[in-house]
Amino acid sequence: MKYSFVTGQLILRELKRKYSRSRLGILWSVLNPLLSMAVLSLVFSTMFRKSIENYPVYYVTGLILWNFFTGSTNAAMSALADNRTLLLQTSFPRAVFPVSRVLAALVNLIYSLAAYGVILAVFAIRPTWRMVLFLPIVALLGLFSMGVGFFLSILYAYFGDVRHLYGVVLTLWMYLSALFYPVTLLPPAMQAIVGENPVYCYIAAARDCMMYGQVPSAGLWVRMALWAAVIFAAGSLCFFRNQSRIIQRL
Amino acid sequence: MANGVEKDRPVISARNVTMEFQMPVERADSLKEYLIRRFTGNHPVRRFAALSGVSFDVFPGQVVGIVGTNGSGKSTLLKIISGAMPPTGGRVVADPGRMHLLTLGCGFDRELTARENVYLNAALLGYGKKEIAAKYREIVSFAQLEGFMDQKIKNFSSGMVSRLGFAIATARTLPGVLILDEVLSVGDAFFRQKSEERIRQIIRGGTAVLLVSHSVSAVLSTCSRVLWLEKGKLLMDGDPRQVCDAYLAYGRSQKQTPVL
Repeated sequence: MKYSFVTGQLILRELKRKYSRSRLGILWSVLNPLLSMAVLSLVFSTMFRKSIENYPVYYVTGLILWNFFTGSTNAAMSALADNRTLLLQTSFPRAVFPVSRVLAALVNLIYSLAAYGVILAVFAIRPTWRMVLFLPIVALLGLFSMGVGFFLSILYAYFGDVRHLYGVVLTLWMYLSALFYPVTLLPPAMQAIVGENPVYCYIAAARDCMMYGQVPSAGLWVRMALWAAVIFAAGSLCFFRNQSRIIQRL
Repeated sequence: MANGVEKDRPVISARNVTMEFQMPVERADSLKEYLIRRFTGNHPVRRFAALSGVSFDVFPGQVVGIVGTNGSGKSTLLKIISGAMPPTGGRVVADPGRMHLLTLGCGFDRELTARENVYLNAALLGYGKKEIAAKYREIVSFAQLEGFMDQKIKNFSSGMVSRLGFAIATARTLPGVLILDEVLSVGDAFFRQKSEERIRQIIRGGTAVLLVSHSVSAVLSTCSRVLWLEKGKLLMDGDPRQVCDAYLAYGRSQKQTPVL
């Protein structure tokens, strides 16, 4: 790809800048899921012990995907606004900026997989070939996040308020993603809603292949693929239609 | 035109270029304000023309300077020609693949080290990976920053930062049309001598050059033709001496002291 060097350099900048003031640096990407798992397990393990086996694994599997989703979409949202001067001084495709932000979040996810591996080993989850399915799940979630990120980056150029609004939306979204509680705890009507939540689909599929050694159901695959395709297509369309117009708005 | 180097076709052809910014008298910065205005149909807009009806051609071999007081539309014009912004009226015919906009330190990040910034900046300027690796030593020695490259540039003086930016931007000669935005007159007197020599080299390598500078003497010593923009209009176009004299006279009448 013609723009891979630029994209690579922008990804490196994001990663270096994120941890530039901390001593442990990128190690935080590994520590963060470990520590928040410890906290949540302390709080909820007794409560959900009966309904969820290996609660910490259940939580962390969802958490690393959730962190990737929120991290990438939040970063992509401000990608154009933060790089205003660069947009005026360079002529390579504007999409390079949000794309490099999402890829930087993906690198963070890869680092946190180190912590995830340790947790899986500690809880004696046996490796199976089905764990390979984690990769296409992340890839689909990546496309989905990219679509959301494209859309948000345009919206944010018009309204700075979107940042605060999105924060609230994410809080609601997190509670609808069954991140730290079992879905069976919910009344049937709510379960149906959560079942249609795209982010929950990715998390549920990841739990299937990583924790339970199962191939996610066909229905789940269809949902994941459709959400990724539709949102990615819609987000890109919105981005490419508006990209030259927003320069004045930034 | 100046020098009479009208070879074949122009490399840049600007026709009636107009750039209007719509500025709401009070900008709707929040969704609430925007919605209220939308529904009440009450959004007062002030039109501001940064450029109005600017036309000119640049032919191969010309070094064209653009002068004008602050806010006269010079930078807007460069952004339109380099393809970063589409004009709201008129058109620019230029091959975007052959336009090279050189600005100093574009994308410099204060939290990164000088070495990291060289790579980032070079990537943004369109260097290839191997190309920048090969030029790295030369850039460091030209900027006189040996021994400082592993420090974050937030600890650098502004002179050091601009020397580094200059060294990267001018490390290679580019075939095509060069657009230089305030890259002349960088650093102290000693560095300036070195950098002016560099600029002359670069200018010789390009097919045509378009440059903006606040320094009238630098424009006089490098350009073969000068455009004078004032309040978005092209007031004069021609011989550097004549145009600069008129510009300076105008500046004096406006009681502004130009940088000589």
